[in-house]
Amino acid sequence: MKRSLLFLGLSFALILAACNESSGDASSADGDWMPTKNIEIVAPSGAGGGWDTTARMAAKVLEEEGLIDQGIGVVNKTGGGGAVGWAYIATKKESPYNLFVTSTPMIDVPLNGQSDYDYTDFTPIANVIADYGAFAVKADSKWQTLNDLFDDMKKDPTSVTVIGSSSPGSMDHLKFAKFAKEAGVDITKIKYVSEQDGGELTALLNGSVDVFSTDVSEVVEQVRAGNIRVLAVTSEERLEGETISEFPTGVEQGINTTYINWRGFFGPKDLPEDALEFYEQKFKEMTETDAWKEIRANYGWGDFFMGHEEYQEFLKEQVESSKALLDELGIVR
Amino acid sequence: MLSSQNKKVSLFLIVLGVVFVIMSVRLPEYPLVPVDADAIPIILGCLLIFLSILLFFIKDEPKDSEDSEQSEPFFNADRKMLFLFGGFILLYIVLLEWLGFLITTALFIFTSTFALGYKKHVTNIIVAIAIPIVFYYLFNYVLKISLPKGILPF
Amino acid sequence: MGVMDGILEGAKVAFSFHGILFVLMGVFLGTIIGMLPGLGPITAIGVMIPISYGMDANMALVMMAGIYYGAIFGGSTSSILLNAPGVAGTVATAFDGYPMAQQGKAGKALAIAAVSSFIGGTVGVILLMLFAPLLATVAISFGPPEYFALMLLALTAIASLSEGSTIKALISGTLGFMVAMIGIDGQTGTSRFTFGSASLLSGIDFLVIALGIFALAEVFKLIITRNDIDSGPNKNIGSIRITKSELKEMSGPASRQSVLGFLIGVLPGAGATIASFIAYITEKKIAKKPEEFGKGSIKGLTAPETANNAATSGAFVPLLSLGIPGSGTTAVLLGALMVMGIQPGPMLFTEKPDLFWGVIISMYIGNIFLLVLNLPLIPYISKLLNIPRPMLISLVTIFCLIGVYGISFNTFDLYLLLAFGIIGYLLRLVSFPAAPFILAFILGEMIEQSVRKSMTISNGSFMIFLERPITLAFLIITVLSLALPPLLGMRKKIKSIE
Repeated sequence: MKRSLLFLGLSFALILAACNESSGDASSADGDWMPTKNIEIVAPSGAGGGWDTTARMAAKVLEEEGLIDQGIGVVNKTGGGGAVGWAYIATKKESPYNLFVTSTPMIDVPLNGQSDYDYTDFTPIANVIADYGAFAVKADSKWQTLNDLFDDMKKDPTSVTVIGSSSPGSMDHLKFAKFAKEAGVDITKIKYVSEQDGGELTALLNGSVDVFSTDVSEVVEQVRAGNIRVLAVTSEERLEGETISEFPTGVEQGINTTYINWRGFFGPKDLPEDALEFYEQKFKEMTETDAWKEIRANYGWGDFFMGHEEYQEFLKEQVESSKALLDELGIVR
Repeated sequence: MLSSQNKKVSLFLIVLGVVFVIMSVRLPEYPLVPVDADAIPIILGCLLIFLSILLFFIKDEPKDSEDSEQSEPFFNADRKMLFLFGGFILLYIVLLEWLGFLITTALFIFTSTFALGYKKHVTNIIVAIAIPIVFYYLFNYVLKISLPKGILPF
Repeated sequence: MGVMDGILEGAKVAFSFHGILFVLMGVFLGTIIGMLPGLGPITAIGVMIPISYGMDANMALVMMAGIYYGAIFGGSTSSILLNAPGVAGTVATAFDGYPMAQQGKAGKALAIAAVSSFIGGTVGVILLMLFAPLLATVAISFGPPEYFALMLLALTAIASLSEGSTIKALISGTLGFMVAMIGIDGQTGTSRFTFGSASLLSGIDFLVIALGIFALAEVFKLIITRNDIDSGPNKNIGSIRITKSELKEMSGPASRQSVLGFLIGVLPGAGATIASFIAYITEKKIAKKPEEFGKGSIKGLTAPETANNAATSGAFVPLLSLGIPGSGTTAVLLGALMVMGIQPGPMLFTEKPDLFWGVIISMYIGNIFLLVLNLPLIPYISKLLNIPRPMLISLVTIFCLIGVYGISFNTFDLYLLLAFGIIGYLLRLVSFPAAPFILAFILGEMIEQSVRKSMTISNGSFMIFLERPITLAFLIITVLSLALPPLLGMRKKIKSIE
């Protein structure tokens, strides 16, 4: 008897609480939009990945520095290199409570025909991070500079194997192709191996492959230990920091191109104007906090803030550039 | 002719293998690698067809008498219960993100336990309410991994 | 600073009050996470990252490592009791653990698993401590062709997992391999067999298959048989006594597989799963009574449980000595280190000896804690099986559903789970074994990808598999292990005819 009473009480409490929910919503009429309930940031990957970490760290900073009063929860929607998460957000049209974190695959994956949604189906809010690519070879490799490598590849592109962690037609493949093309290599003959189980460095170190196309942060420690040599980084100018500043850029070796892996926050399509302004401002403030700067430094993430307008222009250019490369590679999907 | 179970299964698998091979052959070509995405699937499909043909000519092994539950479960009276239970799972999946984890899970545990013939309803109700709450609390508040809250506000 | 000083520094970390506290917290959390559905060590450590931010790096790593090996330690529980492996490394545990529990020896099975895990973990740590810097070269000796040969060897387990018809086992394996082909192909980016569904692009998750074909299919069977008189003497279910002769039986596989498992764990990408399968087949191959395997053999349970825990220690070799993550979990651990301002890499050993040795030494303490924590709990946990059948059926189903939902938070996977539950049940009806299916599923993608990576590297020449000594050696072992038993059998027949 006691037990069923407890049950009754419990269910009653639940119903009461449910009624409370529907009462208040945002007053967006005056332009000063404020969130009135918990915000959800979707990480279109599993816990522990790059997107997930960015989302969780941003949520932490936004909450702890008092930038946003409401709770921020991170929700993981894993699958399809992001496509599953994007499809989920696409159902949240106009909702100012469903943000997500994304990066370069937002461009590559739809271009490869692996997602029905591209960036135009969402609202870019603010970019916060930039990562740069690096091309590394074994320390005892015969190639001292990027040009040494590309000279050999011009003679026989099939003599060199490149490894990366993203699938063909995506980031690691595209950035190498972009540089090789600029140097005049026949990029349709480049041998690219995609290694998705974390064995890229191993394959490079034991000589199974010749070149590792990756992010700068992946190679720093191996360079310090004298295991590998970085032929070039993909930034415009040399990066700052111990060891990192010793890596030459492609530009200074006469290969006049760059590649950037950006990462930022988006909202669903038709995000209300005032909510967009609110979040844009908050993310800007977030990137200026010391807590965020420290996190960035620890991960080796570069600072790259862009507001909504600038972001959209940038994305448009990115799509055009990647599309041109894919066409030339003969990857038509 | 198709009285043997092996022969029925074999024919089904041969059809499956053929469909698999056809689908593999029709995969788009990718120009930049020596072994394309369709190679291994085609081999697998052919292997399945080959093995299934072998199976066709193998006699059914006699049923183990000790495995009585395996002999004719499909014609067992409990077959209905199996379909009902499958239906419950289906319903759970459909309702999960709409009604939320707490309500759906509680309903599922109670109904299916009841339907399977459990008579102590009070215990059933307590378990059906306690288990989802424990899980929900653990996931959402301790581990900060969100399970769907559905129509409930927390 | 010499190695001895480093070890002393590490011991200071590990044996400090906080060190002991955090390793205890880690292994406790790990055990629980290992037992719960859907919460792999990856997720657990992933969500710990923001929480541990600002914590002392030594302590955070000690705790996270504890979660990792604690989860593998605890992961055997659901395999043994419910036939529901929560992580891939414990699939092989279910082969003999579940039959044992069905025979009313659940407590004993759990105790054997715990002791084996302890032995595997501890031997693994000893090897890790002695050889970590040396083994760095072993860790990087494997390229795509070597992985291909190793996985192929593991795949031959299909032949030894077949009971009754070999053809049926092979068909079951082929089907599993075919399911592994679903999703975006790694080498070309082509979507294969996805029928236009975004949810299928990254393939079907291991848990969907394992919980569907093993656990849910078992649930369906339980529904049919629920009214039969309960089989087996359930009163003794919680007894954890291991007799002397049983200990003796365990000693062989435990000592062999802790070393072998560790070595396989050292290889990035191979890990606990491969180690447990290879352990299972080698023990079955050399066993005097191989026919007991799969029916509740003590050796069959000891081997994979020792190996998967030893492999977990092994996975720390490439992580700590090279900064190369050997598995999904160590990749997340690496990310966790970075957020604490530590750059994991080849220099860690010399620059942060307190961290390097601190973690290793804490793993001894952690393994002892795990044994002490787990053994007394076993009688209670194994009583789970005494829950009335209707309630047990509902709860196991919910367990599977939460587990799968936790992978991607996508109901699509739940439909898949139901589908594979039905497939698993149908396979049983026509007496096809399920183990080859899941084995081929786990290995299939890795085999396919590694063979094609190799072919890309060699410009399409098969010679790459014959030119490299390690690859060639594995291939020869594979051929021998397949060809020898039938050849020997033939010789016996010829002799008997003479």
